[in-house]
Amino acid sequence: MEKINKDGTTYLNPYLGGVILGTVLLLAFYISGRGLGASGAVKNTVAATVNVIAPEHVAKSAYYSQFAGGDKNPMGNWLVYEVIGALAGAFLSGLLFNRLKFKVEHSPKITNRRRLVFAILGGVVFGFGSQLARGCTSGAALSGMAVLSLGGYITMIAIFGTAFIAAWVFRKNWI
Amino acid sequence: MIGSIISSGIISPSWDNVFAVVLGMGFGFALEASGFSSSRKIIGTFFGYDFVVVKVFFTAAIVASMGLLYLNYMGLVDFSTLYIQPLFLASAIVGGIIMGVGFSMGGFCPGTSICAAAVGKLDGLAFFGGMFIGVYLFSEAFPWFEKLYYSGSQGSPMVNTVFGISPELFTFILVLAAIGMFFGASWVEKKVKKVEY
Amino acid sequence: MERKYIYLATLLIILALGLVILPKKNDLKEMPPKVLLSAIAEKSRYLSVDQVTHRIIENDPTLMLIDLRPANQFKIFALQGSINLPVDSLLAGSTVEQFNQPVKDKVLIANSDLVSEKAWLLCSRNAVPRVYIMKGGMNEWFTTFITEKPVSGTPSSTDLDLLSFRKAAKQYFTGAGETSSTPATPVTKESVQVVRKAPKATSGGGC
Repeated sequence: MEKINKDGTTYLNPYLGGVILGTVLLLAFYISGRGLGASGAVKNTVAATVNVIAPEHVAKSAYYSQFAGGDKNPMGNWLVYEVIGALAGAFLSGLLFNRLKFKVEHSPKITNRRRLVFAILGGVVFGFGSQLARGCTSGAALSGMAVLSLGGYITMIAIFGTAFIAAWVFRKNWI
Repeated sequence: MIGSIISSGIISPSWDNVFAVVLGMGFGFALEASGFSSSRKIIGTFFGYDFVVVKVFFTAAIVASMGLLYLNYMGLVDFSTLYIQPLFLASAIVGGIIMGVGFSMGGFCPGTSICAAAVGKLDGLAFFGGMFIGVYLFSEAFPWFEKLYYSGSQGSPMVNTVFGISPELFTFILVLAAIGMFFGASWVEKKVKKVEY
Repeated sequence: MERKYIYLATLLIILALGLVILPKKNDLKEMPPKVLLSAIAEKSRYLSVDQVTHRIIENDPTLMLIDLRPANQFKIFALQGSINLPVDSLLAGSTVEQFNQPVKDKVLIANSDLVSEKAWLLCSRNAVPRVYIMKGGMNEWFTTFITEKPVSGTPSSTDLDLLSFRKAAKQYFTGAGETSSTPATPVTKESVQVVRKAPKATSGGGC
């Protein structure tokens, strides 16, 4: 069921990976009554940081005040713990499959620097969009699709549809 | 027992965060082990040389959907009490488009960038760091986007109601579509020139 | 194509097909007997005819009037906006679903309390929330509003308020100035909107 890569490491069969991911998602709904997520933890961390630096700014802001400030504790959030777990789980997988190595992955046609700049920019744009759409690929699209939420399907189509077109624009970075 | 274990009070809510870490570990493991820590593997979906994203993503979605419906049928989960995010049509579409652009620029989505950073991919770390800036920018610019953020509210609709069919029938059609997509993806993968990464 | 994938795909399709062909379950849960017994002792299920009439006149959107009398009596006269669900149809179980509207106060109306009590028990056993009984039923409503009875003794100011409200209500239901005791208000029959399992948010947080 395993595929040998160029660097000698192996990946799980994608369908097996999908079944594991789906089972974890199912357990998340069964145990905690909610789906998995990632960008929500970033949101809470940002809010917590701003709350420490400028609490009065949080109280005034129409966005932060929804989930931070006052007696709300954004760092004590389920998603923050979940993301800490995800870091650990991915590290374990990297250890198991012998993939732990510092590197910048990019197309041979571009430099490390260009790749990193685009990674940061991509992160900025993705982070921005995830807040507007109330969730990212995991929280809105994947978890949303699992509970058959219309919003999840719409977000999924919007993300993958746009990425398909935009990938052509940025093709030089990848192939 | 109906509903999630935590909200039914069988286990103290303070265990919720412990489960969050454990579930997160499963999440991170599944993503990394499937190869989601590699941006060029992920982005392969859009150039047709590697469809791992489509395969993993849709397998996970149908496994979870079918699992939830079976658990609902057996009375272990009450589907109606699950959190279904509210749909704000305009912001979901615009946000999705923005995320799509970020996806093909950075090659990650938030969950996969975490996994990439965990195994030492510096581009993953850069993406993860960029996300904090993006979220911060959105929070600061929120007053300008507030109208868009709240426009097109549709409640919390389920996708099967759009087609006027039952959740079970919708899931069945979804499974058929996903299987068709998997075979199609394997076919395209064979046709497209391999990209070494 | 590898053969193992064809097996896996077949397995998935069979599992998904299983969901479609499994017989449907009754979604309404039963109330535990203990809770039901304590609910019977509780008297808060009664609404007075004055309370109900107030809410009819105010066009309260959360009010759902369910008339349990036989259809022929319902045709002769019924309260504005009420729905006719004869008590026999409740026993058949086919109409219990129409009660599945969690945001509405369902008020049961019969000729007296006897039938309403039975219907209330049926609904409560099926864990339908917010079911009430109009105390005294249509007979009480009729004697209160249409054949006004004078308040005994020296009326207090609240009694007078009540009396003038009832007079106004009588005019509202029978038409201004009409004194005949058999009102001919046109009955408005509304179609029932069945709300099925409105999914509600239990935990926030989004992604």
